[in-house]
Amino acid sequence: MSPLLECQGVSVQYGPVQAVKDFDLTLEPGETVALLGPSGSGKSSVMYAVAGFTRISAGRIILSGEDVSTPKASVPPEKRSVALVFQNYALWPHLSALENVAYPLRRAAKPKAQSLLEASHLLEKVGMTELSQRKPAELSGGEQQRVGLARALARAADIYLFDEPTAHLDSQIRESVANEIAKRRAELGAAAIYATHDSEEALAIADRVVILRSGSMVQTGTPADVYERPIDAWAARLTGPVATLNATVLEAKPGKLKVLLDEVTVIAHSASSTPTRSVELLIRPEWVRPGGEIRGTAVEVSYRGPHTDYVISTKSGHLVARAAGSPRLEVGQVGGWTIERAWAPS
Amino acid sequence: MVAASIALLVLWPLLELVSVASEALDGPGNGSLVDPMANTALVGAGTAVLATILGVIAALITERSAVSGRQWLRLGILLPMLVPPFVSALSWLRAYGPGGLVDDFSGFELPGLFGPVGIVLVVAIGATPLAYLITVASLRTRAERDLELAARASGARPLTSLRTITIPLLAPALLGIAALTFVVGINAFGVPAFLGTPASFDTVTTRIYQDLTLSSRPESFGSAILLATGLVGVALVLVTLAEMALGRIDAVPRRAVPSGHSGTRSARARLLTILVWFAILLTTVFPMIALTLVALTRGVGLAPAPANWTLSNFSEALDGRFLGALGRSALLAVMAATTAVLLGVMVSALRNKLGRVAGVTALVSFALPGSTLAVAVLLAYGAGLRDTLLLILIAYVAKLWAVGHRSISGSADNLPPDLFHAARMSGAGVRTAVRTIVLPLLSPALLAGWVLVFLFAFHELTMSSLLYGPGTDTLAVAILNLQQLGDVQVSSALAVILTLPLILMAIPVLVLGRLPGRLMGTG
Repeated sequence: MSPLLECQGVSVQYGPVQAVKDFDLTLEPGETVALLGPSGSGKSSVMYAVAGFTRISAGRIILSGEDVSTPKASVPPEKRSVALVFQNYALWPHLSALENVAYPLRRAAKPKAQSLLEASHLLEKVGMTELSQRKPAELSGGEQQRVGLARALARAADIYLFDEPTAHLDSQIRESVANEIAKRRAELGAAAIYATHDSEEALAIADRVVILRSGSMVQTGTPADVYERPIDAWAARLTGPVATLNATVLEAKPGKLKVLLDEVTVIAHSASSTPTRSVELLIRPEWVRPGGEIRGTAVEVSYRGPHTDYVISTKSGHLVARAAGSPRLEVGQVGGWTIERAWAPS
Repeated sequence: MVAASIALLVLWPLLELVSVASEALDGPGNGSLVDPMANTALVGAGTAVLATILGVIAALITERSAVSGRQWLRLGILLPMLVPPFVSALSWLRAYGPGGLVDDFSGFELPGLFGPVGIVLVVAIGATPLAYLITVASLRTRAERDLELAARASGARPLTSLRTITIPLLAPALLGIAALTFVVGINAFGVPAFLGTPASFDTVTTRIYQDLTLSSRPESFGSAILLATGLVGVALVLVTLAEMALGRIDAVPRRAVPSGHSGTRSARARLLTILVWFAILLTTVFPMIALTLVALTRGVGLAPAPANWTLSNFSEALDGRFLGALGRSALLAVMAATTAVLLGVMVSALRNKLGRVAGVTALVSFALPGSTLAVAVLLAYGAGLRDTLLLILIAYVAKLWAVGHRSISGSADNLPPDLFHAARMSGAGVRTAVRTIVLPLLSPALLAGWVLVFLFAFHELTMSSLLYGPGTDTLAVAILNLQQLGDVQVSSALAVILTLPLILMAIPVLVLGRLPGRLMGTG
């Protein structure tokens, strides 16, 4: 069985601006991929290229074995088995919520009565039954988004694209939509791509995360890959809080380093085994445990409920730590910490 | 295709005009042209001052005070848009002129109605809706209500906040309004033709008309062209200035405008409302009633009482002679409206440089004085098309496609492309997406554009009076000629036929379709 989607060396050019550079992605049936990047990193451009709205300047896009986009030719969007949830919802103002959702069903040549019935089932799934007769202008942002989601679900597609989909969504609806997508993934082998700048969301929903920076793919891997083994400090900060500290290398083995940090020996995982004298260590807050030999002054203490976040000033730089429970230190107090884990990108 | 239509409609005639005008400069004496030019400047300045003041006051009353029946008041203020200026002039004559309705009852006639005072009054009242619409739009985009409330919260009285906050914020818009209404004043033809010519008060436009139609002196054609060229130069400079001053007035306000007013409905607001209604009654409604009564009355000098009423003026107005003119006016208006809307759609579809250039050209052609455009079209196409309806149609489309373009492009620009994309994403092909999404969303704008062009073309006098020939006169031209022959009754009946049915039809459209907003691109 061929992959649902293959992007091979795809570039997108808007005048002098190269929005996407040499982008590769393979999407297997049932898979969910998150495109993670700050705004302007090319996420929406990738979405629009896959949907067929943007002409690509290099490479090709293949859907279920068929070339749909090359620099010379493009299969029109309505002929692609792709559904898209628009970032700004793009609901048609002259149609009611129900008619908006029924529209793709009508285009699939279903009779009107059946389309409306199916559309009302879909609106039920997103909790919008009571508001189905309203026009978009009479709906709040979150309600419009739910209608937009239902409209995308109304299209029987191989690939569901979500452009920043959950900005206004409460967790219950998010789950309901996720369940619906999961069901279609299981039953129909559909796949989904989420474009988001929210790392927590990307890590939570995706089988695979693709990190984009200025139109280029920086790293791709499982959520654990990109979180625990980020390719560089920028990617590490994009996926969550992290401290970067310089350490002296004592001993290098394949995949492992013994380093000296504040006169304390720390074992770090490493991407390369090329011996160097000093190394930049990336340390996630939950890799740091209270108590131990690394001394530092607390410069920020933020109580978060289940845990407390600390910023600690050490000789080698600022360390971030997260520990369960209420604050153990006040700002200005000195304490000891242990670094249980560290990551040295190549 | 679009570029070619623009070139053929606007650019070529203007080039012809300029080249002939430069030859005319070397011709024999043009000394007698100073008076019409001074008179035109006077009318322009008077119109600008009066229309700007009236428009701003009306806008402040409807937008900033707690008046009741705000929607109806707005409609009333816009009513003069539905009356062609020359019919206004005619109706003022029937109401306030010598032998008019008021004269019959009380022996009072408005002094100075024939001459600059009357011309400025009637032209300014016709231009007030324009000033009003731009002021309303500017109040929404430049002087948001919050800014005034902040002044009030800082201790300013209402009039102080108006003087220190609102008016300064509106200052550039006011300059733009003054420039545009000045152009309306200098381009006016119908009103000076009815109210100026009998008093030997010539403006540039009436002079062009006389030179072209009443004179056989060959050199007068040259002076008409010189005048036309001068007029277009002034109009273009002023419209460009106005565009710069107004900037992006058609930008959609970022926040919804609160329609209500925080204050209570005070006695003062009630008084203001009554005053505005009274002004509308006096300037527009009563003259139209007088016009209708004269049209209904059997003979000159008889009291307009039911005993003296007759429909014979109307039946004479609808006999073969004038029925043909009515049919031609309607046909020209339908064709001009349809062509202008089609052109507008095509230009709006071109979201590129050419589209922008076309948009600017359209604006220029709307600012063009009708007299100039008619002379230019005559020079460019007169040889082959003289005395045909097509000649008039070309002039109409050249002049009015800007209206179609403006009303459509405003809506098209506000249509997010993602709405189209979402339809494609739902399985609709290009044609289905246009049919099911784009057209329904644009249809109010298309309809509004069509109706507006139809209205302007149906009421048009300036260009058709210069371009008509045997068998191609329009209803407006027929009224002008009848009035000049002194036929009070039938000309009144024709003017009623030209105006009243459309007013009755347009009011529901105005109420439902936010038509005037679309004219200014603010809808």
